[in-house]
This record gives sequence, structure tokens and C-alpha cells, in this order.
Amino acid sequence: MSILAYNGGCVVAMRGKDCVAIATDHRFGVQAQTIDTDFEKVHQVAPKMFLGLVGLQTDILTVRERLAFRKKLYEIRENREMTPKVFSSMLSNFLYERRFGPYFIEPVIAGLDPKTSEPFICNMDLIGCPNVPDDFVVAGTCGEQLYGMCETLWKPDLEPDQLFEVISQSMINAFDRDAISGWGASVYIIEKDKITVKKLKTRMD
Amino acid sequence: MFQQMNIQQNFPEYNIPGKQHHDFSPYESNGGSIVAIAGKGYAIIAADTRLSSGYSIHTRKQKKTFKLTDTTVLGSTGCWCDTLSLTSLLAYRMQSYVHTHQKTMSTNAIAQLISVMMYNKRFFPYYVSNVLAGLDEEGNGVVYSYDPIGHCEKTTYRAGGTAGALLQPVLDNQIGYKNQNLAEKPEITKEKAISIATDTFISASERDIYTGDSVVICIITKDGIEEKTVQLRKD
Amino acid sequence: METVIGIRGPDFVMLAADCVQASSIVVMKSDHNKIHKIADKIAMATIGDAGDSNQFTEFISKNLALYKMRNGYELSPKAAAHFTRRNLADYLRSRTPYQVNMFLGGFDDKEGPELHFIDYLANAKSLPFGAQGYGGYFSASILDRYYHDKLTEAESYEILKKCVAEIQKRLIVNLKNFNVVVIDKNGIKNLEPITSVKLDAAIAAAQGAQGVRAH
Repeated sequence: MSILAYNGGCVVAMRGKDCVAIATDHRFGVQAQTIDTDFEKVHQVAPKMFLGLVGLQTDILTVRERLAFRKKLYEIRENREMTPKVFSSMLSNFLYERRFGPYFIEPVIAGLDPKTSEPFICNMDLIGCPNVPDDFVVAGTCGEQLYGMCETLWKPDLEPDQLFEVISQSMINAFDRDAISGWGASVYIIEKDKITVKKLKTRMD
Repeated sequence: MFQQMNIQQNFPEYNIPGKQHHDFSPYESNGGSIVAIAGKGYAIIAADTRLSSGYSIHTRKQKKTFKLTDTTVLGSTGCWCDTLSLTSLLAYRMQSYVHTHQKTMSTNAIAQLISVMMYNKRFFPYYVSNVLAGLDEEGNGVVYSYDPIGHCEKTTYRAGGTAGALLQPVLDNQIGYKNQNLAEKPEITKEKAISIATDTFISASERDIYTGDSVVICIITKDGIEEKTVQLRKD
Repeated sequence: METVIGIRGPDFVMLAADCVQASSIVVMKSDHNKIHKIADKIAMATIGDAGDSNQFTEFISKNLALYKMRNGYELSPKAAAHFTRRNLADYLRSRTPYQVNMFLGGFDDKEGPELHFIDYLANAKSLPFGAQGYGGYFSASILDRYYHDKLTEAESYEILKKCVAEIQKRLIVNLKNFNVVVIDKNGIKNLEPITSVKLDAAIAAAQGAQGVRAH
């Protein structure tokens, strides 16, 4: 079994019209055994930026901590807020430092530019190869299922409430076909002037 | 499992130093996807027409659906040579059934026959993903799907092949109404089923390199089998 | 082969660990304590490579003591768990990783009781209850069934007894004794160990009272 599938879990992010959404499941397991069902893989790293990490849980925690440290250092040195674009290239460089002994994680970044409010989504492989598409990004043990769902449900210029419906249905139906993802989900909708968090009730098996 | 075929191990005299040896591998994945949906009075089964191997495409025009009777169609992908030997053996067994029993096989009889034939090769399986669609005795649609060693499951919708993982949750959602809090769940009409099947293939061809070129949709009703082709991405 | 179990109640944390010290197929000792006191109100129940467990718990507890001496106050259980995880994570990618799985239980005067799951990969999670090791496979469903958020100390001990009884019934390995520790606002307290002798006696007494024949 792949080490990236040791704990299980998934994250998906989507672009909408002047908004972005990011969603995560809640499972924390060790291989087939579910240990807990309130592990959030998405974290707010700035007022309008979220970072989702899936993969080996130990590395999710480590990378999250080290990234927070580097981001704070940047903001103290430069005295300005980090944009999602800068944050993603910092993450990319951070991961590539461990090119030959990587952190076993797949990151997803979603946010709005703090000045221009331009939507931004990005994902990477475990050594930091970035991908910045204009539709959606997926990561985790049900990545294939997520691609199938997102590809059929997503369309350009979705309004925030439509985007919520699309990302929720994509995530839930995808992880229902994966034994090591699911057990509840959280969805974050990021708009220019507000952030909406919704907890989804899903099947718990 | 295939130790008996390993020349180097079993016949040391063939082991000439400095010679490049290639292990014989009996399987290959030639790609392709299937979607089947059953409803009241109809069943549809769709499969793409790309036949590939690794990064190269053998042909863009290979139909992967096999008309077995006037009411039954088999979709088969995976290792194409296994598909061919399975379907030709199946044709022989079905003909033999006609001669013995003086009637064509029903869909559920075929479903059982396929399961038995697959399990007969339990320890050197046909490397195929099979989905069988047809009409039952009442004229309603049924879908049977298989694993490579003959486990058979009767369902109303199924996605299989290389894009099976991408498409199955879409069918769960759109055909099975999974995770939709609806007061009533309207029956899927034939037209709706065809349109969903087409859409799923358009999506699959975006992300799965082994699915594309075109999709052939077989529409099975009591009036016979109608065939439609929709063009897909060709890159 | 070893087992640790942890339960977090509304005002306490309870840890249980088996007492077997084995080498290969030989049981060397069956009264070995695996629950270590690492601060006034923090304890760690550790399983894994015997040497690693001892070395690692000692390393953590001495560092916590050093922190207390330097700063004049103790690390909170949450901070201690974080420190433990971080060390384990750093060692994981060194040439000498520690093979230890543990539950870290503690009582914080402000935050209340805490239970942290940490495994040898430094996967870590704060949990209401959990179990690790082979006994974990048998205890998980019992904990799921009987846990609730208004659990008392006595109820919690009863749940542990159920878990131990199941482990002793179904696990092929003989884990005779389980040490139990409870941590609350008053500190760490050892409870009566759960032993197969006592459990068998209790079962026999109950069946005797009902007139049921043991089988």
C-alpha cells in the first residue's frame, strides 16, 4: 500500500465567479482502521487563503507547522500580506528542498488575492510541482473519483451558492466510493467580503 | 503465478551470459471504458472505441460492445486478446446452448454462463472488465458486472474499465440519486440515460488517456438493438 | 502484541496498558509498568520496541523537567504532546527512528483533560478514546459502544474491564495484567490493575449467582 494512502482522506478546490471553494473530508485512520472522524485537512493560513493537505498525517502536521513559520517570517521581513501565488511558490520550493526524501503529502491551495480578489487555486505533487488550472484541483485517495465528479458537475462562472452545491456533491459522491475517505466533510466558500464554512453530514461507513 | 513460464529460472541452459532476457508477460492493458444503465423497458450500454497500449493508440475505431442476442449486449475491456478469446468462446457456448435447448439464451442465463467461464480460469484469469446489459424475461433492463475471476453482481447501473473509478460516482449521483435529498426520485427515462451516458464519456475522455475517440451506445429495447455513435476527444 | 487504551472523560483521563515484557516468543515478565509519569499531571502509556520505549519516555520526561526548571512552570499537556510528536517526527527521518506508539494523557487546569494518540510515524491526534496495538482491534468497537461524554471514573474503569476481558478472550497472546492510571485535577493516581484472575473470579461469581454453567 502506498504511504500516501496510509491515513486516507481527500481535498478538492474549485474556482467560481469571483469566489473559490475548498472542501475536505473528516476521516483520520491508520490503514483500514478509522481512529477518529474530526480531522480537518483544510486550514486557514490567511484571511482569504486556505491550505489543504492530504497524505501521511505526520507530514500534514509537520508541513503545516513549518509553512506557518516561514509565512510569518516572510510577513515580518516584508511587512506585507502573502498572496496565494507567493504562498504556493514558497510551498513548492519548500517541498523541493526534500526532493530525495520527500514529505508524503499532496497540497491544495485555494484563496483570493488580498488586493485584487482574483481567485486562485493550485495543487502540487509531493515534491512541489505546481499546477494552477482555471477550473478545479483534486487530491487524495479518491482523486480519480473526484476527477470524474468534478469534470461532469463543474462549469465556468458558478455563483457562490451554486459552487457550494457542486463542490459538495463532487466530494461526497466521490468519497462514498472510497473506503478510506469520508466520515463527514467541511466546505469553505471564500468570497471577497465573507467566508462561509459548512459542515456536511454524510454516510459514516 | 507464472513461474512455470519463466524460461530463465526453469531452463538454466537458456541463460547465456551477456544476453538480454525479456520476461514473458501474458497480460497487457489495452484500455477502454464501459457504462451501462438499465431502466423500465430498456437497457443501454456504451463503450468508447479507443484501443491503446501504453502511450500509443492501436486504433480509434474498435467497438467494445458485443451483441450476443437480440436482447443482450456484452461490453468488455481490459486485455483485448482476452476479450477476443472470451467472446469467441462465449459465442461457441451460446450456439451450443441453442442446439441443445432449441432456444436462445436469456440475459440471466448468459450472465451466469459468463461467470462460470471466467471462474474456470481462476488461476490464470481473463484480464477483462465485463459489463453485461440486456432485458430480462419481463422486458425490463438489467445490468450485470464482473470482476476478472467471475464474481457477478446484478445492478441497474455500472461503470467499468480504465475510467470506471471516474464514472461510477457520477452514476451513483445522477442515476442512483445518491446524496440528493429529493422528495421523489423520478424514474430515469431512456433519453435521460442516453444523455447521462454520453456526458460521462465526454468527462472521462478529458481525464483518462485510455478513453476517447468516440463512444458507441447500444440501446436495447423489445424492438431490437439500436446503435448510436458520439464523437469524443481524439487527443 | 502489546496494547494501550485511553479514555478521556469530562474531568479525567484514564490510561491502561498491558504488563507484558516479551523477547521473541518468551514472556520475560508480566508485571512491567508501561505507563510513565512524565510530569505532575501528564502520563504516557507507551508500547513498541522495549529499549526505545524506555529511552524515549525518559528523554521526553527529562526535557519536560528541564523546561520546568528553566521557566518555572510546566508545559501543558497539549504542548507536551506537541513536543513529543515533533521529536518523534524528527527522529523518524534520522538514522535512528524510535519505534514507539503511545497515548499521552494529561490534565490541564484551564483546558481540562486531554488524550493524545501518537504512533511511531508521529501521526498524532487528540481523541476522546482510543486503543493501540493488537488489543486495539478488539477494544475499538467496545469503546465505540459504551463511550459517552458524561462518563464517570467508575464507568470508565468498567469499560476498560470490558476491553481487557475481550482481549483476554480473543487475542492469541496472553496479556494477563493491565495497569490502569487516572489523571485528574489532583494529579496522577494508580488504580487497581485489571487482571485475568480478578476478571475470571467476577465472571464466575456472576454466573454462579444466575445459576449459569460456565463453558
